[in-house]
Amino acid sequence: MPLRTRRLRLLGLLALLLNGAAPGAQRAGDAGDSAADTLARDIFKQLIEINTTDSAGNVTTAAEALAERFRAAGLAARDVVIAGPAARKKNLLVRLHGTGKRRPLLLLGHLDVVEARREDWSTDPFQLIEKDGYFYGRGTLDMKSGDAIMSTTLLRMQQEGYRGSRDIILALTADEEGGCCNGVEWLVRNHRELIDAEFVLNHDGLVGYSITSEHGIPQEFDLSATEKTYADYQLAVTNRGGHSSLPRPDNAIYELAEGLLRVGRYSFPFELNEITRAYFERMATVRSGQLAADMRAITRTPVDAAAITRLSRDPELNSLTHTTCVATRLEGGHANNALPQRAQAVVNCRILPGHSKEEVRQQLLHVLGDPAISVRYVADDGKVSDSAPEQRSLPPSPLLPDMLKPLESTVQAMWHGLPVVPYMNAGATDGIYTRAAGLPTYGVAGIAVDRDDVRAHGRDERVRVASFYRGNQFFYRYLKALTAP
Amino acid sequence: MTARACAWLAAAALLLTANAEPAPTAPAEGSSASNALARELLRQLIAINTTDTPRGNVTMAAEAMAQQLRSAGFSPADIQVLGPSERKKNLVVRLRGSGQHQPVLLIGHLDVVEARREDWSSDPFGMVEKDGYLYGRGTLDMKGPDAIMLAALIRLKQEGFRPARDITVALTADEEGGGANGVEWLLQHHRELIGAQFVLSGDDYSVLTENGKPLFFKLVASEKVYADFQLRVTNKGGHSSEPVADNAIYTLIRGLDRLAAYEFPFELNAVTREYYRRLAQIESGQRAADMRAILRDPPDAEALGRLSRRPLDRSITRTTCVATRLEAGHANNALPQRAQAVVNCRILPGHSPEEVRRQLVQVLGNPAITVSYLASDGALLDAAPSVRGFAPPPLVPEMLMPLDRLVAQTWPGLKVIPCMSAGASDATHTSAAGLPTYTFSPLTVDPNDDREHGRDERISVASFYEANEFFYRYLRTLTAP
Repeated sequence: MPLRTRRLRLLGLLALLLNGAAPGAQRAGDAGDSAADTLARDIFKQLIEINTTDSAGNVTTAAEALAERFRAAGLAARDVVIAGPAARKKNLLVRLHGTGKRRPLLLLGHLDVVEARREDWSTDPFQLIEKDGYFYGRGTLDMKSGDAIMSTTLLRMQQEGYRGSRDIILALTADEEGGCCNGVEWLVRNHRELIDAEFVLNHDGLVGYSITSEHGIPQEFDLSATEKTYADYQLAVTNRGGHSSLPRPDNAIYELAEGLLRVGRYSFPFELNEITRAYFERMATVRSGQLAADMRAITRTPVDAAAITRLSRDPELNSLTHTTCVATRLEGGHANNALPQRAQAVVNCRILPGHSKEEVRQQLLHVLGDPAISVRYVADDGKVSDSAPEQRSLPPSPLLPDMLKPLESTVQAMWHGLPVVPYMNAGATDGIYTRAAGLPTYGVAGIAVDRDDVRAHGRDERVRVASFYRGNQFFYRYLKALTAP
Repeated sequence: MTARACAWLAAAALLLTANAEPAPTAPAEGSSASNALARELLRQLIAINTTDTPRGNVTMAAEAMAQQLRSAGFSPADIQVLGPSERKKNLVVRLRGSGQHQPVLLIGHLDVVEARREDWSSDPFGMVEKDGYLYGRGTLDMKGPDAIMLAALIRLKQEGFRPARDITVALTADEEGGGANGVEWLLQHHRELIGAQFVLSGDDYSVLTENGKPLFFKLVASEKVYADFQLRVTNKGGHSSEPVADNAIYTLIRGLDRLAAYEFPFELNAVTREYYRRLAQIESGQRAADMRAILRDPPDAEALGRLSRRPLDRSITRTTCVATRLEAGHANNALPQRAQAVVNCRILPGHSPEEVRRQLVQVLGNPAITVSYLASDGALLDAAPSVRGFAPPPLVPEMLMPLDRLVAQTWPGLKVIPCMSAGASDATHTSAAGLPTYTFSPLTVDPNDDREHGRDERISVASFYEANEFFYRYLRTLTAP
């Protein structure tokens, strides 16, 4: 997922929930597991070595390569669909039929990766390199590992002749990271029938992983069930300028600065949703002292204002409970010796579920309180417009027992004592499109990454070899549990 | 020239003039020949690109003028073309006098700022006359004044005039920028060539008009010191999804907010004092009263408050610093790792850039905001120069009286108003070398149509000839035996 969407880390604190229980040691895999691992690695390597960047890459090539594998495994041609709006940006849709006892399940992943320059990397980013217990390559984490694991899972089920209680649809798509042709958006709009499902599992939960570890020890399994909406606004002040030898009281830079200081002092209202409320309620039972009391206090009605103030001093907890807006860029003036004719800032907002971008724009105008400062919406493609979309973002996906129970049991079986923690993403993944289409969407992946070693979008992106295989086994088991007849 | 606030005096000077009408001066004998020569010199200078670019060459212009001087009868020994680099040579020429008084040095720069053909209506490097104007890069800044100075010198030479003092003219490189400022170089390496009792710079037009009416005659006799400072805040940054209290942008703008509210102390010097003294005689009502009130010791605080609300008066009576540029952040979705601003200061004579830098540090009141000096070559320095701007030179009678008289003759009713410019010109260098420097060029310009450094730069043909005649007469009077 785009790094701008980096999740809100709900906690390192939850490690406390482990209560001393050591995460379970890896079980010895059976023969099926080991064959599946070989297959997963094979697919993984194939995908890494197909450049799927928006610049020089081709997503369709990757989609075709996988389609070929599914057809070879015996899936009917009509169940292996390649479709998309542009020649290089086609998506793969695969359907593994179940008994139809329950509604289908959609698995979501993206095939595209962000740019990687050979000179920045220690190895060729478009070669899968195994070294010192890690797989290196662009997309090893975000998220060709997930693509390989999901594809492997379906192929394995097909080979086993498995028939689950519901259809399993796999959608591997283009342009999640940016580009003309976001695959999920296109599918929702043009082929809704192909992806209709009771709920969606997005392997791109964090950036291709769900388990946060420290020194390789899993600490928490984050279940993404909602996300904040990402929005950029451009604040601008114009002025007739003039010679800097004659400063005037009206000055574009100062006027903007005063406005930004008001934005900096302003706090959007405190607000909880189903996910964050569950989080604080749960946390209150494991924390102690003032923090626990405050967590309890903010979940009660009426909320305790002093508790909110104390909790909000922690940037993470503040972001969980408020829409946030922060100035991230400034630009003003055109010459050292001229009064500025223009000063502008980018204000980046992360909007709580249930609110619209336009609502936040209006609130910014209100907070600025200066008609000379314009507030315009900056769309993903960089286009600036006078108003922002008015559509409200959707409330969190309900924590469906059908999804949650098998998840908890599978996680417990594989990582004994590892807590499953609901969390809220700080920005948009492709889940925004499926949620907007009314499909409850959850970010779930069995891959673990150290908190301080998340290299998605960075140089020398990598994933632990053992974690990749374990994530592969997890996904197979979880999917079996989800679709048990 | 680099910067000037005096031109903006026009705004204040509305009330000054009322009765001043240009009086047609009867062409003196020799004036029409001199006008033709001045115009030819200007045409030649415009046609030589003297920008600080690979296409520009100041030496060619210096050589061309040297050739004109030789043709006019100057001894090769009195003409020097010299400088630190091939394309950046300066011309120094001397008209020998009786030595009764110390020499006077006239300075002008030959270089011009860049002009792009596509921005202009005509070729900026080909002089064009149209609708009573001469167009071309440098017509005003300042090949026009250069041509006038040389034409006057040649005319005096051809008349066999023997001045009471040597008249030296130095036409130089890199006033507008570039690494080879000619005045600075001559002062360092050939001080003997340009030693003088005082200096006249032609690098500012003097007759300011509005709607065609002359307002006053501006004599620049003091300068503020120009200084740029960079304010910078660095931060470890982070992801914008979790804003933290410590943010480079907010830290910087809190500082800028304090700076915006800060006023440097009120201060007058000999020139600005004289400026207000003369202006108070012409203004009326509250403003005239306020001007008188600030001249008292101690100055009246309320009058000062009222005057300081006017940007012009504020800039005349105080050092000013203003934020002119901002830059911060590297991605919309990342907390800024760096935020910086340029603050441009115009420093009253008698104060140093380093003094102002320290004052900025104090006003900002936050050690997280570093304040560096931004040198003209772009270098960032932890400390600024501690050399103080020069106190204005005395308005010596032998310079001022002939000017007062000639201005009154040429434009009846028009007053010479001494003033302080807002930034550095080459006068900075000569002043620094201890040479009292006065800047004027008798060209007439409506400040609202000031096209220096801009597109379609121009001067009026009539004004060019008028200024040519004026300058000749002034120089002759100034150096009369």
